[in-house]
Amino acid sequence: MTDTTPETGPKLAPTTWVNPLTPWGTAGQDDVTSVQAPDPRQPWDENTAYKAKTYKVGRLKHYIVWPAHGAKLWDRWRWWPTRRNLLHIKGLYNRKTLKAEKKILDRRPVYWAICLLLLAIAPFFFPESMENTLLSAGAIFGIFAAINVCWTLIVGTASIFSLASYAVVGVAAFLTTWLSANMGLPWYTLPLIGAFMGLAMGAIIAIPALRLDGFYYALLTLGLNELCRVFFTTSSEFGSASGGLYGADTYISDQWEPYAQSLTGYYGAFLLMIASLFLFRFINGKRLGRILRMAPEKREAFAEACGVDYRRARVTIFVLTSAALGFIGGFYAAQFGGVAFQIFSFDTVLLGLAMITIGGIGKAEGAILGTLVVTVLDKVMIDWGPIRHFSIGLIMLGVVLFLSNGYFGIKKQFNAWRDKKRGEWRSIRSEKGGEALPEEATEQDDKDELFFRRFDKMQRDYLKGLICPEIIEEHRRQPLGQHSEALERVCYYFRRAPMEDKYALHHDHAKDRYKIIAFSGKRGVSPRVVDDREYDNVGDAYHAIFIRRVHDLMES
Amino acid sequence: MDITFVIINAIVVASIYGLLAVAVSITWSSLGLINLGYGFVFSFAGYCAYVVAENVSEFPAVVAAAGILGGALAGVMICLLVFIPLHDKPNFTTRGMIGTLAISLIGSQALLMYFGPRAKSLPEIFGFWSVKIFGTVLTSDKIGIVVCSIIMLIVVVMWMRGSRRGLEIRAMMMNPHAASIVGIGIRSTGIYVMAMTGAMAGLAAVLLSQTYYIAPFSGLTPLIKGVSIALCGGLGSVSGAVIAAVILGLTEAITSRYLGGQYVLITQFLVIITILIVRPRGIAGLLDKAREQ
Repeated sequence: MTDTTPETGPKLAPTTWVNPLTPWGTAGQDDVTSVQAPDPRQPWDENTAYKAKTYKVGRLKHYIVWPAHGAKLWDRWRWWPTRRNLLHIKGLYNRKTLKAEKKILDRRPVYWAICLLLLAIAPFFFPESMENTLLSAGAIFGIFAAINVCWTLIVGTASIFSLASYAVVGVAAFLTTWLSANMGLPWYTLPLIGAFMGLAMGAIIAIPALRLDGFYYALLTLGLNELCRVFFTTSSEFGSASGGLYGADTYISDQWEPYAQSLTGYYGAFLLMIASLFLFRFINGKRLGRILRMAPEKREAFAEACGVDYRRARVTIFVLTSAALGFIGGFYAAQFGGVAFQIFSFDTVLLGLAMITIGGIGKAEGAILGTLVVTVLDKVMIDWGPIRHFSIGLIMLGVVLFLSNGYFGIKKQFNAWRDKKRGEWRSIRSEKGGEALPEEATEQDDKDELFFRRFDKMQRDYLKGLICPEIIEEHRRQPLGQHSEALERVCYYFRRAPMEDKYALHHDHAKDRYKIIAFSGKRGVSPRVVDDREYDNVGDAYHAIFIRRVHDLMES
Repeated sequence: MDITFVIINAIVVASIYGLLAVAVSITWSSLGLINLGYGFVFSFAGYCAYVVAENVSEFPAVVAAAGILGGALAGVMICLLVFIPLHDKPNFTTRGMIGTLAISLIGSQALLMYFGPRAKSLPEIFGFWSVKIFGTVLTSDKIGIVVCSIIMLIVVVMWMRGSRRGLEIRAMMMNPHAASIVGIGIRSTGIYVMAMTGAMAGLAAVLLSQTYYIAPFSGLTPLIKGVSIALCGGLGSVSGAVIAAVILGLTEAITSRYLGGQYVLITQFLVIITILIVRPRGIAGLLDKAREQ
């Protein structure tokens, strides 16, 4: 029987076990070759140790906690005439010190204020050598940021994928320039007239948007842009010869010194950008925006069933924003005294798309960051030559390939990725074999069962390490009585097995022979015969059962 | 200007733009990718043909083959850079479109940096001869352009109908999800589709360069025309694209005959908008069966 000895894992240290019953002379055998049983707590410690690698970052937001001013935890003070608090602040008592504290739950207004302040004071820190370049780039940045914020409203909030925003701006700019040059309109009327033109144009372009799906509309508006370009480039009234139309009245006087002119242009564009941000806030953050947040793409039917008239909301936003774009067009004319055909070119649309993509479509901060990046590359790094557009294209491609929604979508994307990875690691950690998988465990009502299975697995792992030829030989020589520690541990485990399918011996009195049977574990159901083999004496039979159990253990 | 002359011109131009339209259409319907990078494919193929004509041989078949191969190469490049990394990511349609636009920006700038802004011209592929039919003089390049694009279209349609790959592409058009379940690889099919449509754009580039020049940004107008035709005919339908090309070609001819050349785009655009308002998915597109992706 002993030749079926299984090969076990690491070799255990051999030892000689002295039977403590030796002095009384009742021990069957005195000195037994056995193995040193390792500490049984070891597998428990190994299994219950927390092995997942931990990092500092976590899902918890790390808020800065500020001391409260005065004894009050919170107050109802609001900014007249709105119903708003300045910041979303939560008051709380410190659990240890019981002092009143507060934390700012939404810190975005703080960041906005800091960034806008930086932009406002930036002209005073521009280096002398690049002052002119930077100021004119800043003016262009302000105007394009305003356009892109409006465009974000159309593409993000209204989810109308229109590529004709620059066309609206361009048409308004050309027409107002023409009106100002030919009819002598003063500069302050240009944005208003532009706004009406934008409104009219928006209303016309919105008609197909009612019927067409997102990308059909995108392609259509791309064509519209090209149509505007060809129309204005070829018509002689709009200065087809000079590359643009100039001569509008402008709010920047020629008599001022150049620095003052540039500075006025910078701050004019800056104010326009702030105005567009307010427009964004008042459309995206109020009723229209909230309605449309309920009706994202492909879930329109659900929103409609809930009573949301999303088409109306989208077209309203589109028309309002087109009016704003027309206003920007008029402002453009009033700022630069005219407009070039460049505004209709495919490159402008491409760069604009790069601007709103880099920061993340649908967010005002994304539009402004993208505009900043692209403007700095395009207008400040002029000595780079054609590499500028090349690198803008590379950034755009990189953003599209690696980020699901631009720079400001990184946080969300990273969290989603981390959750996915966590799930993967968790499923790697849970090994099978007696132990329950996490998804099974949630369906098991009796959690004791789970703990028992876990413990049982650890115990079996430990006992498997103890099985070796020495203890099998020891058992063969003396199946009953006291054994060495290693064998004793194995035997205890075997004896404690549940009654179901537990091995036992059947003694045939007539022939005085033994057979191995297995209990059914159910009352009234007779045991089954496991093996036809019969044994002459009870010791051999015990050992045969032991070998069987060792086999079962090693295979579990 | 004679009306027949104008109509012939319109047919010639429409057959070139029709090729691009069919390419845009097939890419959209089988891969769900709005490829706005055909402008770059177009210029790239044109420059390939130019380089081969300058350095290797001016033999017409060689130049045309260089253009077609260059187009296929650029198409595969777009597929590897944009379609394969992005096709299973969220917001694929938007990101794919912007990605192809980025490729087009990068590619055009690279061509500009390498070849300079000066336009290049290709040798006359079809020689100098003319035929007089029913009192109209047809020059060699016009006949050649129309015949070549019709042959290319027929070859593509036959290939799509008859071959194993064509069957896979048509399966992807019908239902991309089910196609991938029955073992049609989205990525490999993507490479075939982009190579084939790129080859069509390459041929269109070679044909158009018989009339115009090759420049880094010369692909833009054909792209916009092709996209408009594809849109009007219904994305995903070859026959619709052909009908739309004919309609828009006729519109162009009639407008430039009776109103003047500068109104061509306006009337074309009005026609497109009218068609799209009546049938939002184009002439041959089905109303309820948008491609889900």
